[in-house]
Amino acid sequence: MDRRIYEHPLRTFRRGAPLTVEFDGERYRAFAGEPAAVALFASGVDVLSRSIKYHRPRALFCLSGHCGACLVRIDGMPNERACRTPCSDGQVLKGQNAFPASEFDLLSAVDWLYPRGLDHHTMMTGSRTVNAVMQKVVRQLSGLGHLPTPAGGPGALPEVTGRDVDVVIIGAGPAGLAAARAAAATGARTLCLDEQDRAGGSLLADPRHGEADADARALRATDAGAELVSHATALAWCPEDDGGLLAVATPGGLWRVTARRYVYATGGYETNALFENNDRPGVFAARAVGRLVVRWGVRPGARVAVVGAGAYPDALAVELAACGIPLLRVGRDGSERVVAAHGSPVLTALDIDSPRGRRREPCDAVAVWELPSPASEAPRQHGASVTLVEQKGGFAVDIDDDGRTTAPSVFACGDVTGYLGPDAAARAGERAGNAAAHEALGRP
Amino acid sequence: MSKVIVCRCEDVTLADVEHAVALGYCDLEEVKRYTGFGTGPCQGKECLRVIALALARATGVPPESIAPFTTRPPLVPTPLRLFARDPSADDSDDDRDGDGQPDAEELA
Repeated sequence: MDRRIYEHPLRTFRRGAPLTVEFDGERYRAFAGEPAAVALFASGVDVLSRSIKYHRPRALFCLSGHCGACLVRIDGMPNERACRTPCSDGQVLKGQNAFPASEFDLLSAVDWLYPRGLDHHTMMTGSRTVNAVMQKVVRQLSGLGHLPTPAGGPGALPEVTGRDVDVVIIGAGPAGLAAARAAAATGARTLCLDEQDRAGGSLLADPRHGEADADARALRATDAGAELVSHATALAWCPEDDGGLLAVATPGGLWRVTARRYVYATGGYETNALFENNDRPGVFAARAVGRLVVRWGVRPGARVAVVGAGAYPDALAVELAACGIPLLRVGRDGSERVVAAHGSPVLTALDIDSPRGRRREPCDAVAVWELPSPASEAPRQHGASVTLVEQKGGFAVDIDDDGRTTAPSVFACGDVTGYLGPDAAARAGERAGNAAAHEALGRP
Repeated sequence: MSKVIVCRCEDVTLADVEHAVALGYCDLEEVKRYTGFGTGPCQGKECLRVIALALARATGVPPESIAPFTTRPPLVPTPLRLFARDPSADDSDDDRDGDGQPDAEELA
């Protein structure tokens, strides 16, 4: 099977050299540049691993490195995120938590034996001996794999690099790139860090924007003097070190970043809707489907349901139609609701409730649009207050009009302050970047 | 079997959250400790909002009064090789800080 799109009316997909990767003993076609999760899905692999407790099938869901659903063993290392690991020729991938294989796992009997759930608090408590034996059995069956021997870590203590700037911006999506451009334009030394393989954030998943727009915005930021670093992941705010520093993982080692002002433009995480079997492979976050079709040129399925109301799912439906993919639009006006997914191990149909009653629609992929959940952990560690607001998508950072949070020297902008969408996020980023730089330079 | 999964890392279902609330666990920290949600590889990125809102509905508490559980570093899955050396790896340069003591012993 090959789900890649080779002819598109508007876009051209630049693919690297053809490669071969191995997954659970079978060989699959891939292209240089594709993340392993994308390459395997494009070549027909639907199930990557099994879940830890019920051994339910797992596959890519968010395609942005956040949901933990695509963990596989790659070249001997367990728990690698397949969506964040580039494929390479001869790469050996294996599913986890499955016997004998992810596609068909005998241990998934657990899911059928406990249809109403397995309460680990009250399991086998009748007998101490049976309990002790069961604990050992369960520990053998669960867990996410053993490290290879030798583990292959560095022989010497890793290098740590210190970086000190006026303004550091965490995230290079629409808000972060606008903040970086605005901050650098004031003359402030500006560093913009992004965890993904290239700048753009949600723009790369958005048919209204895409790579060209992301590249143009990144160029405007660097032209203004901002330093833009991809593959740089903020790990923690460490208040006890040197008056506080941001620990950042880069391919070249750990960075200790200090700045006069910190601007969090971390965006939002993909979340799922609540319906029966909402974790079936084939149920994707809408923006994961966006990344597949807009960035990677991969069809999500033969018939795709786009679920949810909003400008983003509307744009995604238009894009899927332009690719010639049959689609079903569900819940555009809020009158319809998905209640269940069917199919094992992968999706084959959805049950949908509407005022006219319940109906079953065949489909092999669902793009679920739920408001992205603000990625507010980092600003929270840094002391900024957050508030749970359903209409904002979750725990949104509290800010004033210029993006100041409740913590000194800490700003936030874009979807981390409640879902805004790319255009409003860019405007908020511009204001926050400008205000942060003025404070950093001691200007009014 | 049919389950509504709210935390896919730890296989926590909507029924598990409702059961925890019925037992009297009614804030996010308690529900986290009882069900295990938010303790897997995603550390709550996908499930925190969903469970916080489910908790608000189940307990009748207004969402704005619900506090998130404590966030701890690292924020994403991070390889230990960024922080530590592998004592089994052969390396002649065992004294990077140059104090005349092998680093491995200082760490131990």
